[in-house]
Amino acid sequence: MQQQARKAWIAAVLGLVLVFMAACSSKGNDAASPSQGSPSVAPPASAQSPAAAEETGYPASFKYWVQLPYNADPSVTNYSQMKAFQRKQEITGTQVEFLHPSGEGAQVAEQLNLLLASRNLPDVIESNWRNIPKGPDNAIKDGAIIRLNELIDQHAPNFKKYLDDNPDIRKMITTGEGNIYAFPFIRGDQALRVSWGPIMRADWLKTVGLEPPETIEEWETALIAFRDHDLNGNGKQDEIPFVLPIGAVNNSQLNPMIGAWGITGDFYQVDGTVKFGPVQDEYKQFLTVMKRWYDEKLIDPDFAAVDNKLLDAKVTNNQLGAFFHSGGGGLGRYLKLMKDSGDTAFDLIGLRNPTLNKGDMPALGMMDFAYQGLGSAAITTSAKNPEQIVKWLDYNYSEDGQLLFNFGIEGESYTVTDGVPKLSQNILDNNPHISKYALIYASGPFVQDVRAMTYTSANHKQAVENWAYAANKVRVPPITMSADDSAKLNAIMSDINTYIQEMNIKFVMGVESLDKFDAYVNQLKTMGIEDAVKIQQEALDSYNQSK
Amino acid sequence: MQRILRDFSRNRLVYAMMLPVVVYYLLFHYVPIYGVQIAFKDYSPMLGFLKSPWAGFVYFEEFFNSYYFVRLLRNTFLISLYSLIFAFPSGIILALLLNEVKSRVFKRSIQTITYMPHFISIVVVVGIMFNFLARDGIINNMLVALFGIEPIAFMREASWFRTIYITSDIWQGIGWSSIIYLAAIAGIDPSLYEAAKIDGAGRWRQVLHVSIPGILPVTTILLILQIGSLLSVGDEKILLMYNPVTYETADVIGTFVYRKGILEASFSYSAAVGLFKSVISFMLLVMANAFARKVSENNLW
Amino acid sequence: MKKSLASVAFDVCNYTFLILLALTTLYPMLHIFFSSISEPAFVVQNRGLILYPRGTNFEAYVRVFENPMITLAYWNTLIYVVAGTAINILLTACGAYALSRRNVLWMKPVMFLIVFSMFFSGGLIPLYLLVGDLGMMNSRLAVIIPTAVNAFNLIIMRTSFQAVPVSLEESAKLDGANDMVILFRIILPLSLPVVAVITLFYAVGHWNSWFPAMIFLQTRELLPLQLILREILISNTTGQMMTDLGQLDQIPVAETIQYATVMVATLPILFLYPFLQKYFVKGVMIGAIKE
Repeated sequence: MQQQARKAWIAAVLGLVLVFMAACSSKGNDAASPSQGSPSVAPPASAQSPAAAEETGYPASFKYWVQLPYNADPSVTNYSQMKAFQRKQEITGTQVEFLHPSGEGAQVAEQLNLLLASRNLPDVIESNWRNIPKGPDNAIKDGAIIRLNELIDQHAPNFKKYLDDNPDIRKMITTGEGNIYAFPFIRGDQALRVSWGPIMRADWLKTVGLEPPETIEEWETALIAFRDHDLNGNGKQDEIPFVLPIGAVNNSQLNPMIGAWGITGDFYQVDGTVKFGPVQDEYKQFLTVMKRWYDEKLIDPDFAAVDNKLLDAKVTNNQLGAFFHSGGGGLGRYLKLMKDSGDTAFDLIGLRNPTLNKGDMPALGMMDFAYQGLGSAAITTSAKNPEQIVKWLDYNYSEDGQLLFNFGIEGESYTVTDGVPKLSQNILDNNPHISKYALIYASGPFVQDVRAMTYTSANHKQAVENWAYAANKVRVPPITMSADDSAKLNAIMSDINTYIQEMNIKFVMGVESLDKFDAYVNQLKTMGIEDAVKIQQEALDSYNQSK
Repeated sequence: MQRILRDFSRNRLVYAMMLPVVVYYLLFHYVPIYGVQIAFKDYSPMLGFLKSPWAGFVYFEEFFNSYYFVRLLRNTFLISLYSLIFAFPSGIILALLLNEVKSRVFKRSIQTITYMPHFISIVVVVGIMFNFLARDGIINNMLVALFGIEPIAFMREASWFRTIYITSDIWQGIGWSSIIYLAAIAGIDPSLYEAAKIDGAGRWRQVLHVSIPGILPVTTILLILQIGSLLSVGDEKILLMYNPVTYETADVIGTFVYRKGILEASFSYSAAVGLFKSVISFMLLVMANAFARKVSENNLW
Repeated sequence: MKKSLASVAFDVCNYTFLILLALTTLYPMLHIFFSSISEPAFVVQNRGLILYPRGTNFEAYVRVFENPMITLAYWNTLIYVVAGTAINILLTACGAYALSRRNVLWMKPVMFLIVFSMFFSGGLIPLYLLVGDLGMMNSRLAVIIPTAVNAFNLIIMRTSFQAVPVSLEESAKLDGANDMVILFRIILPLSLPVVAVITLFYAVGHWNSWFPAMIFLQTRELLPLQLILREILISNTTGQMMTDLGQLDQIPVAETIQYATVMVATLPILFLYPFLQKYFVKGVMIGAIKE
């Protein structure tokens, strides 16, 4: 028994020793660069507007909270390792301590909320401030972040100029109460804002002798052809002409098909009037067509349960004829996968968004607004020297800053020929990965430059062009609303969203007859959809009226 | 007072041993309990606990008045109930069966193998489930070959959801949960078995009169605790498994609140629902414990 | 003693059932293992039984270990498991012993206190604030201390301690033993199986834990293995859905890498149990105790 007791004590002591070791060692901080922060330095005269009221310098140091992009190279564990930021430190003399939350999506949001609750705020927080609980106006009112309008006018000449040149951007980043709340991430060109759309098997179209479809009718013909001809040559009629994942139906960013009827699957606007897709007659027409396609076996019977893995499998298994996806991560990736596995016939093209009548321009394109909300840097109330930080952020919007964060270091990651910057070949070959140099692959407070964009193939380029071809007038711009309204809206929508999703399936699968559509609309009204529309309308009105 | 002093002096060491644990609970579980108040407030992280305005029962009402309230409650209870009836005993049964195995090597290898699935991340487990249960997946292939029926779209039918959920729970947890019962069996005095054998008891009788009573304390306690967690049924797993087709049977309180949280991190709402769950769960626990105390010697306090 | 026919029949059924069970539980691990060393294109396409790897390809593992965070995270997890479990067992054993004593005045209320805390919690935010106030934020202590005692495990251990016959205690007391002696010389040896199991529970708990690390740590160099792996697994599933942020996105992590990470994360801890199994010997101490 002595043996047992002794062993137990040894283990316990050992454990405690380890604990003390752990406690005394890395109380982690300062993953940032080792050099001592130099005192505030007056910046070299670059795009300094002489009209600036006072000469502010760059800050000596500050803390910056931002999520590390999921597709960064694994060796980049902190932004301080990125060459662009290192160069910026040389230029500005500012030492930035970057704090990165771990995890994804909801977890990062949770950590941000914890951060806000702890009142121990870093100086700058980069996040999607439109998604913050109760909205950005409330964040300002409750004293978490500061209003930036005046600071920009006085200390951010580059950004001010950009806003003056682009008043629509200014409108997008201003709240209903007139506050500019963050330095935004802007997609600087139309080509950068389109990344999702319909994709179809080009080789299959060729085999059945059809042109790429443009109208819903042509789609139906193509899908029927896909269904009937054994296009993957395996002797079985197992082709799935088309899949529309259930989660995409009511997402304005993911459902190009419904645009043929001129509406989206959730809130949209026509000339300033907000409407809700699922209660419109056009929605019933959309469901009718989907039901017909389902009955005729043109839609994947598993559409209600399809996720990315399944989608992957169906595409690479030569079963799927048409689907929606992105350019690089979808079209480009599949093309590469199939080419690597030796399939030479496999070909994908991106189609224009469908319409009802031939020759019409599609109403809905999957074009994002230049400002969506993500990647925007707000300055918190903990910052002791906001003017200096504003100046530091302003640098990103200068010409040098623009090149730095889009392309990286001249001579290393890009070259300039005839005044046009171009990413160097080794970067294009992902060796080293661009994340070691610049931010173009992710987001942040700067303007994305279209010249840094690369396509994975000619198909990809063509796809983006096709997808960009649309009127793009019906989506709701980045409006913001008050805390109360936002709470009310969310209270109404959670039940409604569940109901709509379930009814979608019931209608399409025929469990519920479409004759009952009116009853369905009435139920939505009982659940409060009209109040929800009103709230959105008020927010849109104040957005449209602001300048 | 006298009694207290005497008790202290007599049991000094016991209290000394208890002290760190008590301090831990007070510090990490009771100090933070002031956070419960946000269920009654309109909480804003930036205003903090004290300054956020009172909202009374607003969020509770929002929850109770939800169109889906009854369904959520029903699904949560049913899944938990089925789990209690089917999944809970599975570990016990496996432990008893393993105990009957004479070969040490066989016993050990079975144990080690069966408890492996417990370690596979739930994300991967659900991925494999989707794979096997697909229309053209293994299970359907077997069913068609053996019984000639039409393939069943398992993950798309609300009526299958509970079965699949419980079965996969059993599959993943049976080996792991049997460990604790095996340990309890190992602690049974062998002389009790000897005595039973001498009295002429066969194997089945030995199990009935020695093994089972021997693990009854642990079983009772675990059962009580499981009843107490009736409302907290496996949210992450359901989130990965369900889709709108199966909401009818799969949507539980936790998943609904999670979806709501995607719209907006409404702390107060989830706090209110959490408090509701806590109160009900605790009541259930107290009742289960009282019942156990009447029926046996084993209970929590 | 001759075995009856029923007894033999039962044995046959039992063995068969157990073998089937083992096969169904073993298969998925094999599926994952084979997938991790197969050709990526095959893995993405295939939906059936994978009974053997198609084309041996260890690139997934190479990629996984090339990730500098993996080895660092492994080390972190090791620290958390060893240090954490040591503290857990120390506190839990002492607490379980104390709570299992009859005739000690405050034990019932304390028990109630502990069970109550299992259900009512103030939520994440106060805990977060507390950890910050205690100065533990962004340090390893934040991962170990707030989970120092698991009520569930405590209760199980207490139940097991309670099952030790009172007579042994009393005879020890007559011999002049104090509580420490009773705990270490009598209770623990007799409850060794359960203590071993609880140790296993705690160790596995630490191994699989990622949430406290996510909430309390902001320095990537302190992160445990599971968190890194979760990022790989989940960001791949959601990453593909994300509309391209920039056209230079990496071709997302292949499925084989996911499987490889699962193997890497799971294999080591699997072997802890067989190691602890030797403590599951039946009532070994009973005879020896009766001195």
